[in-house]
Amino acid sequence: MHSKASLILGAGIMLLAGAAIIIALDWPLKAKLFPLAIGIPVFVMATVEVIWGVLDPAARSEAMEFKLSEQASGRPGAARALTAIAWMVGFLAAIALLGYPIAIPLLVFLYLKLQGRERWMLSAAVALAVWGVFYAVFDELLHLPFPAGWIQQWLGLA
Amino acid sequence: MIEALFEGLLLVLQGKALAFMLLGIGVGFWVGLLPGLGGATTLALMLPFIYSMTPVEGFAFLLGMHSVVATTGDITSVLFGIPGEGTTAATILDGHAMAKKGEAGRALGAVLASSLVGALIGAAALALAVPVVRPLVLTFGSPELFMIAIVGIAFIASLSAQGGRGMLRGFLAGGVGLMVATVGQDPQAGIARYTFDSLYLWNGLDLVPVLIGIFAIPEIVDLIVRGTSIAGDLPRDRLSRGALEGVKDTFRHFWLTIRCSLIGTFIGIMPGLGGAVAQWLAYGHAAQSARTAEERQGFGRGDVRGVLGPGAANNSKEGGSLIPTVAFGVPGSSSMAILLGGFFLLGLVPGPDMLTTHLPVTFSMVWTIVLANIITVIACFLFLNHLARITVVRGHLLVPVILVLVFVGSYTTNNHYGDILVMLFFGAVGYLMVAGGWPRAPFVLGLVLGKIVENNLYISVARYDAAWLTRPVVLVLMALAVAAILYPLIQARRSVSSREKHA
Repeated sequence: MHSKASLILGAGIMLLAGAAIIIALDWPLKAKLFPLAIGIPVFVMATVEVIWGVLDPAARSEAMEFKLSEQASGRPGAARALTAIAWMVGFLAAIALLGYPIAIPLLVFLYLKLQGRERWMLSAAVALAVWGVFYAVFDELLHLPFPAGWIQQWLGLA
Repeated sequence: MIEALFEGLLLVLQGKALAFMLLGIGVGFWVGLLPGLGGATTLALMLPFIYSMTPVEGFAFLLGMHSVVATTGDITSVLFGIPGEGTTAATILDGHAMAKKGEAGRALGAVLASSLVGALIGAAALALAVPVVRPLVLTFGSPELFMIAIVGIAFIASLSAQGGRGMLRGFLAGGVGLMVATVGQDPQAGIARYTFDSLYLWNGLDLVPVLIGIFAIPEIVDLIVRGTSIAGDLPRDRLSRGALEGVKDTFRHFWLTIRCSLIGTFIGIMPGLGGAVAQWLAYGHAAQSARTAEERQGFGRGDVRGVLGPGAANNSKEGGSLIPTVAFGVPGSSSMAILLGGFFLLGLVPGPDMLTTHLPVTFSMVWTIVLANIITVIACFLFLNHLARITVVRGHLLVPVILVLVFVGSYTTNNHYGDILVMLFFGAVGYLMVAGGWPRAPFVLGLVLGKIVENNLYISVARYDAAWLTRPVVLVLMALAVAAILYPLIQARRSVSSREKHA
């Protein structure tokens, strides 16, 4: 996991930095000076990192910060991480299709019921409470615009 | 001057001014807690309400609100690992790590106490520094500001991971942050860089969705994977016990707190650097205070010094950034630029008048910062135990609430779906960085500093050619950057040789 993630990241940065350098070459000097001054060393460092990773995959370097828990390793960990990502993608889709005011209580309720296996009443109560706070703070108090979902727009309800 | 100082206090304590300050504190308290809703945005939203206020009332309201945002933003960072504010992201590294170890109370105690110390030092700096700071600000031109930014990145990149490979990754992450900052319209030639014909990208990537993605998403994924509460299965009685310990920590490491407060004040004074930079420089300084390489490994895993440094700096910068705003009409940050608008709405002109005719009003600002922070910290301590208990709430009850905060917080930055996509993209990058053992702090500092570095580099080269490299302050800062890179390597070598001696 550790070396694979590093390799993906290193290779991704190498490719993106390479592409960024090629794109920048067409710009006038004023615009390309900084992207090239940063892009070239980043490309070189990413190449070194990738080569280092390929030649010595066992070499570890711990960052002094948050580390993933032990449960994240192995196949079960990967499956759970994919579940987490699926919830986020699902929430994004719900926001786009239904809009925030509907997507928020829907996510909270479904997550508590399906993932948390909570009781119906508790799931509904928490969903309602979260929606209430969202509505009071962002809609009533701050008047922030949250557009209707695509479905409401297609149906002409928005 | 003493007379004006007391007059300023009496002005703030007048019924209406005090009421407006308390109202501002109430708004700032919640704005700080909610991720995405920034202090600057709220200042802008609240600006129309000050039309009918007197200058003292107006500043009591605006500054009362703005000066507590960083304090309560730290609470969100510690408890959930989501930056409550862009200026409180550094608190996550050790603050949230402490919360996961069951030391949320201690982390909150430390961050609140250090925030108060920082705010008081920033306010004192505002009261005392105006005549002293003028020549200092005028000495710092573009070359010096560029070098301060480079020193900051060198500090963080070299200190945030171990060994040669860790340092390589640190610099790589910092470089990527600088590159990401180039997205958007180029300030010199007006070319749209890396925007791929997307109007959303023309203004560049906003800091908030990137920060939320890179810090919060890996934590949320891990919380779902673990299926436990934030603090795991630790006993509940440990949580609230530490609050006083956290306060004691502030005094145990008092000089570190003072130094980090001074760093925050100094960065606040420098136009264009801002609180987001201050917290990381303070974090880097705190990490550097470790005496051995082994001690340094504790940073990022819940070392209280990693909480005290950013906690102090992101509050002390408030007083610092008011100095150039009040004295010269040069705003040190976007918030101060909005506050400058408030000056004009209230019929005041920043500059010498604020230090002579309107000196009591200037001092009323100092008192507002002091009182607002004291009130907020007391209020937070009253609810501390309840706040800390959030970390033992069942994970699956918290996850949907945090997800809502993350998605709403990202979206409200620009009210654009692009913000959510940016947040998710950088969430994936953040997850890979955590999984691969890469430090995230240098990336964020690079991103924060990108525009500043580019502008100041361009002005330096255009104005001085290569001669800017020989300016005395630039040379001193360059030596500091080299020392920042070499210090951890020397420290690691010393540790190895001392271990060999003992063996």
